[in-house]
Amino acid sequence: MQRRAFLQSLTATAALLAMSPHLVAKSQASFRFLRPPGVLDEEEFLQNCIRCGKCGEICPNRTIKYFSTENGVDSIDTPYIVPREQACILCMKCGDVCPTGAIQSIPREMNAILEKVEMGTARVDRSLCLSWQGKTCGVCYRACPLPNVAIRIGRLEQPHVLNDCVGCGLCERSCIQIPQAIRIIPSKSLSKKSG
Amino acid sequence: MQKIVAKPSSLRHLNKLRWFILTLVFSILVLLPFLHLYQTYVAAHAYDLLLPNEKTVYDAMEWLTSPFVKNPEHDLDMLKGTTWSGTLFGLKLSDPLAVLSQVATSLSLYWPFLLTALIPVVATIILGRFFCGWICPATFIYELNDTVAAWLRRAGVPLGDKIYDKRIKYLVLTVGLILSMLLGSIMTAAIYPPAIIGRELYYVIAQGAFGSGAVFFILTILFDLLVARRGFCRYMCPGGALYSLLGRYRLLRIQRVVEQCNDCKKCNVVCEFGLDPLQDGFGQECNNCTACIAVCPTDALKFKIQIHDQPFQGPGHLGHAYRNQKSGDQ
Repeated sequence: MQRRAFLQSLTATAALLAMSPHLVAKSQASFRFLRPPGVLDEEEFLQNCIRCGKCGEICPNRTIKYFSTENGVDSIDTPYIVPREQACILCMKCGDVCPTGAIQSIPREMNAILEKVEMGTARVDRSLCLSWQGKTCGVCYRACPLPNVAIRIGRLEQPHVLNDCVGCGLCERSCIQIPQAIRIIPSKSLSKKSG
Repeated sequence: MQKIVAKPSSLRHLNKLRWFILTLVFSILVLLPFLHLYQTYVAAHAYDLLLPNEKTVYDAMEWLTSPFVKNPEHDLDMLKGTTWSGTLFGLKLSDPLAVLSQVATSLSLYWPFLLTALIPVVATIILGRFFCGWICPATFIYELNDTVAAWLRRAGVPLGDKIYDKRIKYLVLTVGLILSMLLGSIMTAAIYPPAIIGRELYYVIAQGAFGSGAVFFILTILFDLLVARRGFCRYMCPGGALYSLLGRYRLLRIQRVVEQCNDCKKCNVVCEFGLDPLQDGFGQECNNCTACIAVCPTDALKFKIQIHDQPFQGPGHLGHAYRNQKSGDQ
C-alpha cells in the first residue's frame, strides 16, 4: 500500500512536471534580459546549457546572474544579464569556460566580437536623452567599448547607434537619466528570421 | 578462547580518508565563490571602496592564495565550477549525467564536452559508484543528516525507515532524460543534488540569495530524515542510477571473507544504501564507501578485483564457531 501510494505521488509529480511549462507560461511582457555574449540561439542554448554556473563564476564584472523561476521552468538556473544593473565588459571569458559550447568561445578581438556577439542593440529614446533635449551629455558614447563602431555622436553629443552595436549594455549602465534614455533591445526579441 | 583477529587491517582507515575527501570537496565548493568574489575585487582595483565585510573576504582570500598565485585575477581561473562540471587546475571534468543529459536534450555530440566526462566514466567503470560515496557534496550533507537521524532515533524520536523499490531511480533517470528532450531544456540538472549544491553555494555566497534548487534540496533532506534513510540516493537520484549502471561490472569490489565473518550484522546496519554485505549482497548500488569495512570487528570484508560479486557463501565460519562454543557451554 505504501509503495502504491508513493508511486501514485511519483506519477502525479511527473505529470505535474510535464505540464509545468504550460502552467508556468512565459509572460510575453517578461522583463528584459540579455544572454551572455556569444550564446547560441535561445532554443539551442537551452538545449546545451547544463547549468554548471561557470560563466557567472568566471565573470570578472559580476555581470551574469541566474534565473530562478521568473522566466519559466526551462530557464531555471540559466545565465542572464540585466544591463542596467551590471553590463558586460566583453571580456569573453564566459565563452572560454563554458564546457558545452552553449556560450561559444570567441577571441577577445574587435572583429571576432563584431562578427559573433549579438546580445542586442542599443536604442535611444530621444524624448528622454539629455543630448537630444539640448543639454550636452555624451556619457553613453564615452562608456561604449566600441566608440565610432557601435555608436557615434553628432551635434550636442547626440548619440546615434550604428548597426555594429553588439549590445553589451555599458551605455545603458552608464546613462545618467532615470529611467535610462538608452536601452538594449535583446536580439532574441528583435524580429529575426528563424533559421 | 579463540583469538579473533591477529592484526587489524589498515583498510578500516579508508572510511576516515573518505570523510576527509568529502569534507575537502565540500570546503572547496564553499571556497570557490569567495575566490570568485576576491577575483572581482582584484579586477576592480578599488580596495579602498570595499565594504568592511568585503575587505574581510579580500584579506582572507589574499592570505589563502598569495603563496600559490601571483596574479589572482587570471591564475585563479584554473579552479572553477562544481562537481557537475568544473575546471580543476586546467583540466575540464564533467559529471557523466551532465554529458548524457546534454546529448539527450540537444541530440548532438559536442566532442570537447564529451571528453570531459571520459575520466569520470572510466573511473566509474573500474571503481563503480565511487562518486556517490567519495566525492558527491550532497553525500556530505546526507551522511551528516543520517547521523542526526541516528541521534534522534536514539533519543526516542520516531523517524520513518521505509523501504521502496531501488529501481525507482532508473525510472527517474529515464523520465528525466525524456522530459529534457521534450522540453528542450536540461531538467536533470534541477533534480540532481550535487549539481544543486554547487550552484546554490555559489548563489548564496556570491549572489546573495539561494535559488529555487535549495527548496528541492531541503525537501530531499527532510525525505531522508523523516521517510526513508538515505532515501533520495537509494531510490531517486538520477546520477546515482547512471553510476550504478556504469559500475555494474566494476572491477573493484568489497567481498566478505567467510572464514573470518562472525555474522554480527554490523555491516548491514551501517550500510547507508541498505545493502546486504552479511549475505554477500553488494550489487551495483555499492559505492565502495568502505563504511562496512571500517565497522567490521573481525576484518572479514576485503577489496577484491573481480567483475562479479561472490554468490552467497553461507553463514560466517567464526559465527559458526561461536554457536558451537555456546551450545557446548550449556
